[in-house]
Amino acid sequence: MAAGRLVGAPVPRMEDARLLLGQAQFVADLEAPRMLHMEVVRSPMAHAAINNVDVSEALAFPGVRLALTGEDVLSYGKLPSIDLAGPGNAALQRMLAVGRVRFAGEPVTIVVADDPWIAKEAAALVSLDLTEMPFSLDAEEASGSSAPVVLYPELGGNIIHTARQSVGDVDAAFAEAHHVVDATYRVHRYLAAPMETRGVLADPTGAGRRITLTSSTQFPHLLRGFLAGVLGLSEGDIRVIAPDVGGGFGVKCEFYPEEVLAVVAARKLGRPVKWIESREEHFVATTHAREQVHHLRAAVDAEGVVTAVTLRSVTDNGAAAATLSVTPASISSAMLRGPYRVPNYRAESHSVVTNKTPLAVYRGAGHPQAVLCMELTMDRIAREMGIDRVELRRRNMLTPADMPSDRGTAIVLAGAVIYDSGDYPGCLDRALELAGWTSRAEREADARSRGKLHGVGISCFVEETAIGPYETGHVRVDGSGKVTVLTGASPHGQGTATAIAQLVADELEIDIASIIVHHGDTDVVPDGVGTFASRGGAIAGAAARLAARKVKEKALVVAAEMLQAKPGDLVWAEGEARTATGASMPLAAIAGRSTAWNAMPSGISSFNLDEKAHHQVPGIAFANATHVCSIEIDPETGELEIVGYAVVHDCGTVINPMIIEGQVLGGLAQGLGGTLFEELRYDEKGRLATKSFADYLMPTAADMPQDVALGSMESPSPLNPFGMKGAGEGGTTGSVAAVAGAVADALAPLGVTVASDGPFTPPAIRRLIRAAETAKVA
Amino acid sequence: MTSSAFQMTLTVNGERSDHAVRPRLLLSELLRDTLRLTGTHVGCGTGACGSCTVLLDGEPVRSCLTLAVQADGSEVETIESVGTPEALHPVQAAFNKSHALQCGFCTPGFIMSAVALFRRSAKPSGEQIDSMLQGHLCRCTGYRNIKEALRSAAETAEA
Repeated sequence: MAAGRLVGAPVPRMEDARLLLGQAQFVADLEAPRMLHMEVVRSPMAHAAINNVDVSEALAFPGVRLALTGEDVLSYGKLPSIDLAGPGNAALQRMLAVGRVRFAGEPVTIVVADDPWIAKEAAALVSLDLTEMPFSLDAEEASGSSAPVVLYPELGGNIIHTARQSVGDVDAAFAEAHHVVDATYRVHRYLAAPMETRGVLADPTGAGRRITLTSSTQFPHLLRGFLAGVLGLSEGDIRVIAPDVGGGFGVKCEFYPEEVLAVVAARKLGRPVKWIESREEHFVATTHAREQVHHLRAAVDAEGVVTAVTLRSVTDNGAAAATLSVTPASISSAMLRGPYRVPNYRAESHSVVTNKTPLAVYRGAGHPQAVLCMELTMDRIAREMGIDRVELRRRNMLTPADMPSDRGTAIVLAGAVIYDSGDYPGCLDRALELAGWTSRAEREADARSRGKLHGVGISCFVEETAIGPYETGHVRVDGSGKVTVLTGASPHGQGTATAIAQLVADELEIDIASIIVHHGDTDVVPDGVGTFASRGGAIAGAAARLAARKVKEKALVVAAEMLQAKPGDLVWAEGEARTATGASMPLAAIAGRSTAWNAMPSGISSFNLDEKAHHQVPGIAFANATHVCSIEIDPETGELEIVGYAVVHDCGTVINPMIIEGQVLGGLAQGLGGTLFEELRYDEKGRLATKSFADYLMPTAADMPQDVALGSMESPSPLNPFGMKGAGEGGTTGSVAAVAGAVADALAPLGVTVASDGPFTPPAIRRLIRAAETAKVA
Repeated sequence: MTSSAFQMTLTVNGERSDHAVRPRLLLSELLRDTLRLTGTHVGCGTGACGSCTVLLDGEPVRSCLTLAVQADGSEVETIESVGTPEALHPVQAAFNKSHALQCGFCTPGFIMSAVALFRRSAKPSGEQIDSMLQGHLCRCTGYRNIKEALRSAAETAEA
């Protein structure tokens, strides 16, 4: 039972048993007495004027209790965007459309009925009188001063925000450049699609007639604040519960219309109201991700050192500003240079509205886009200047000696980009070794002998993790010596409860089985921030361990009285206070002595071993990794196969390597899905065409690489009391550029230039090859 | 507006019950809403994801694509019948050991298909496991650990 015995060990998850036995409680599994069901009527058109909404027939349908239109809820506020200030707020979404609908799928009316089938049938009776308007699906066109369609006239255009970054003297660097690369990169639209869709249960019948909103959310505490703001209530009037949540990946750290609508309906009717999103709805009603266009220029000196980069990017934000609306543009511009020095940098990143589903963050947020642009650019420079691409990367990379490294950029909400620690060249070297870099010529020759093209992509990145502002931890020990931990994180699959229990168990040197971790209920854990941006383990873990430390310090004071020793003469070991002479007092006895049923122990000011800690985050912790992807392409069919994949990642001090590997592998699958198959497509009427898993292809077990070689490094973060950084998103962040780079490498001999993140489906690869062939003939 | 009810009987996890159901009622709805066995999850409603898999007379079926009346006179097994907190089924134990689940939403579907597979073949081959996995979507794990869990369960199973 030596200290440090659990942190760093692959401890099996304490979350699993309930999930494996079918005992979990997702929101769809919940019932409340006299519960009603909500159905949302959505716009069938991409852009239209609302002439009239007639709910009379729906209301007359037996079993229907309520129907609400946009006019009925006008008195409530719009849904906030927390990263957007200024005139862009004209693009905030109403919970139900008023005057116009701006995307196919936008909520127009709700119908509440006795059961979900009645609600559905009645919803079909709502009559929408709409006049179709021209729509916009092209963010670049929409960003122009003469955009043919303007979604919010009061905004005067379609740009809701422009993020700017400016470091050094870009113009001077370009004036002296030996070589200039000019490129445009396109990143397509796809989505997170957690296996559990969204859902809510609003119950106004709880104690004191307070509202309890149970929602499949990543941030119950923030949701409580948003709801209070929109409804004009006190946070004290609201309890938010995140029950078991079936995956989030960023789309559930959004505040959605249905979360307010169910509460409004429940309060009007005085009965619980439930809404469960169908999968088809999920495709149109839950935020999309990624879609950006980047125009990038890089200035390079004769040695291949990139002296400057300029970026102009356009993010297609869809029809309204989401809760996190400009974060993708902000992160991709602030983090574009990744691990490379590039001393001069200028970026202008526009977030633009179009008639699509609103876009927000998805695992990696803006990072995958940034890494794609930078790594494809590095490969291009290497090819054009005849420099080995690994050597080129080394020449430009920051080294451990550069840490901390102030990059001169900033990320909205998170703050200044100052890299805290990391060995980027070391990470690259180890990944290349794992990937068998030096023997790639043999694999290439072997592939060629089978008529295949072999390609290798290298993706080095630095990633914002473990952001603030803070997280809470609360540790209580009862008289039996059992420990209850309350955390402000709200995990939904990450295994954060296990990670936190490992940290607390090590701090108190006790058995992990005596620890219970609670989260996700604002009445149980009154203060917290939530789980997003790879922050749960690192930030909530630190707060919990700090609280456990305070408990231990207090326990030593109480034990000193019990053992008639001086606190300074005691040490803590194996879950007990010990004196130098061999006397000891176990945690349970100390906790018992500290309860209010005894006289207050001398030297302490409050009863109970019950301590709270805030971990205030002093700055962003930056994780890093290198991905190396090897592929083979059949040039005849366009078929792509991943034949090798290596990842070396560094997320600081590791709490649980098994969980981190799981995060890397899962993230990798999502990145590969987006790069190989997944794509949201719109039809000629501006409506989403991909609305089921039959149209939207996600990876299956057979699509994953046979073997993924994983390695890790540990560069502790000086910003975290325990050295921890985040690990939730890196698998996704690195994989997009790794695959695209591999495709570029494989197809380069055919004259193909890759300037997108795919998806690299067989037809898409054939199109790339054909276009290059046509260009050659011409 | 009520549709004519259909009288049916089925046995779920060893317990027999009679129901008057709408002809359109899905087996997933009967299990979840009527019997309150909510361990069976509906991830897509179109039979694509496999989360709602249950065993109908021993065979894995998508309960979201199966009408309740199709189960008339049949035996249905759901995740609630597999393992106990004290004694997980070997497949469940392997999932825990190999970290083959994260959010756990899709997991009951995987487990039910695996239970059927291990009944058919005490030590299923890698190919049998791969083919079973094709019927299920998981968005968290990237599948490798699921495959590993099933292979290790197969290795340790008694033939």
